[in-house]
Amino acid sequence: MRPRTPVSPYLMMAPTALLLVLFFFYPLLFAGYQSLFAWDLLTPPRYVGLGHYAYLFESGELAQTLITTLTFSVVVVTGSMSLGLLLAVVLNRRGTFWSFVRGCIFSAYVVSWVSVALLWLWVLDADGGVFSAAVRAVGLPTADWLGDPDVALYTVAGVTIWKIAGYAMVLFLAGLQDISPSLYEAAALDGAGRWQRFVNVTWPLLRPTAAFVGTTSLIMSFQVFDVVRVMTQGGPVHATTVFVYAIYEQVFLNLRVGRASAEVVVFFVLLLGLTALQLWAWRRKGESPHAA
Amino acid sequence: MLTRRAFVAGGGAVLGALAMGSLGASCRRTDAAAGRSLATLWFTYGGRNREVLEQLVHRFNESQPEHTIHAVFQGDYFEGLAKLRTAIAAKAGPTLSHVIGEVIPYLARAGVLEPLEDYPGARELDVVPELGQAGSWVGGANHPLYALPFNRSTPIAYLNGALFEKAGLGPPTTWAELRETARALTDRRADRAPRYGFGCPVSWWFWVALVGQAGGKVVEDDGTVSLGGDAGVEAIELWQALVGTDQSMKRPPGRDYNAWEATNQDFLAGRTAMIWTSTAFLKYLEQNAPFPVLAAPLPAFRRRAVPTGGTHFVVLRDASLEQKRTAWAFLRWMNEPAQVIAWATQTGYMPVTRSAIQKLETDGYYRQNPNDRVAVDQLAVAAPWPWSADLFRIQREVVQPNLERAVLLGADARQVLSEARALARTDAT
Repeated sequence: MRPRTPVSPYLMMAPTALLLVLFFFYPLLFAGYQSLFAWDLLTPPRYVGLGHYAYLFESGELAQTLITTLTFSVVVVTGSMSLGLLLAVVLNRRGTFWSFVRGCIFSAYVVSWVSVALLWLWVLDADGGVFSAAVRAVGLPTADWLGDPDVALYTVAGVTIWKIAGYAMVLFLAGLQDISPSLYEAAALDGAGRWQRFVNVTWPLLRPTAAFVGTTSLIMSFQVFDVVRVMTQGGPVHATTVFVYAIYEQVFLNLRVGRASAEVVVFFVLLLGLTALQLWAWRRKGESPHAA
Repeated sequence: MLTRRAFVAGGGAVLGALAMGSLGASCRRTDAAAGRSLATLWFTYGGRNREVLEQLVHRFNESQPEHTIHAVFQGDYFEGLAKLRTAIAAKAGPTLSHVIGEVIPYLARAGVLEPLEDYPGARELDVVPELGQAGSWVGGANHPLYALPFNRSTPIAYLNGALFEKAGLGPPTTWAELRETARALTDRRADRAPRYGFGCPVSWWFWVALVGQAGGKVVEDDGTVSLGGDAGVEAIELWQALVGTDQSMKRPPGRDYNAWEATNQDFLAGRTAMIWTSTAFLKYLEQNAPFPVLAAPLPAFRRRAVPTGGTHFVVLRDASLEQKRTAWAFLRWMNEPAQVIAWATQTGYMPVTRSAIQKLETDGYYRQNPNDRVAVDQLAVAAPWPWSADLFRIQREVVQPNLERAVLLGADARQVLSEARALARTDAT
């Protein structure tokens, strides 16, 4: 299709570009500028140069937040993809019952984060919660799921996996249903067992889908806020202070706009680096991120 | 180039619009048409306390033809404070709000609060000295009057009457008794959820109480942030003993007011026999517990001591004269005995005027409701806060994270406080 005039494509892009400039690029530049000042919104800002960045690096605060966020992301991406794939393979069947089961699992994805967090807060209560009661009933030791600094991050990651596994399952189901049954028949004729068919037929053909699921799950895991805000408020002892929550805490609870802005800049650079790495990996393999 | 203020103004305007909502807009139209002056009150609590406040605001609006107060809920204290600061910076703040005492010196230094002493009748308000600005802060009377007490509290102990009666125990009056009682009431059996003898949010306010009881101060009179010195260490070590050695205190999940709510829920569910929390929850706990609730003063160590808590009303300097007049009319009305008594007796907060306490005494209210008397009596040992603009930073960044580190991870209390003192001395960038 040829544009009517040379400027037509730019006019078509203009609304999106305008929104991006207004709500993304300008705030980002403003945050960069703001990160050079100490400012609490109410008293006059004071120029501190790169002082916030130096503090973040020297205090270990940045490293701790980074480790927490990356740990959370690795657990969530791995967990949601594995569970989503498993569910997709198991539930890839015809019939009303299986549709109902798939619908039930996917429903968690459309429920709001706050509702999910409140529900699990009740389920995971260390003493009175349903989960602890079930664990005790089978004779296993319980833990302070949200109060123990060594456990809380994995608990929150588990809740996140529960919430988004349905999303991964639906995408993997779509990928599975795109695979021609004749490939499985040919593999079976060659004597391939169930596991071999999965390894040699299913997984290679699902890789583009897996790349898409992995990318979107990674983005979701980096953006996590609501579930942390409701369930742990970044605690105990900062054990669940992921990047977005750290920024929120600095600006809204600790009155530090400048330090929060420095965290925004660092977070942006980190995500930019990860995205570039991912694009490089895709291009190297000659795979399209839009293959799903 | 867009200025900082303009940038914040944009965001603040959106937040403000969300906060006010369409109801506010319709109220403004209605009130302008009716010739009434409108002031907006941002308040920061839900549940029973919210209901009582909204009833009082409704009564005020019905009681006279000139003023309307539009009350808007803004989350918990910290959420409300975040919104308030953003709105003030954006010139979109309410007329009045109520904020925790720790933040008032900071807001005063920022110049955003309206001095109230020259408003008609301000000097004649008979507020309880320990609860007003003069008594709530060291040297509070040396500053312009910015804060009028509203929902004021102290931490108190709540006991499960049934469990205490069954065990033949009374309220602990010393730290040693606290440990013994908590141990005696702890029930750990493998086949069921444990019952803890004691529960308390690992929170700044309760630590300040313990520091006072151990004979220390968080900030010395000369402004040095000592964090109580040895008393601060002893306060943390008591918690460490209860959580770690005795395992008689539950670690509440969550932080800030989520931890407070978890503590309340454990108490109501019988999972904790005794808790420390604010007197603010007195009526809520009494009305929702399936057992008799007994209130008791906090125990002593070297001495008895409690901090005061809750919030004070403040009027924002940027409000219009008309709005300030309406706000002041509301504040005076709220300080009349009938309203002070209604608020205190329906919530558990302390009556903030002497006349209200006197009336409750003469009417026999405290004889019939001895739990209500506990916090008022504790005012005799209430310690004032330092008038320090950094107090809020000390609370949020210096003390609170280190309390969690010491109590939940078992870090050495002396080392933790030493590091915290060093942090308190650093530049507040």
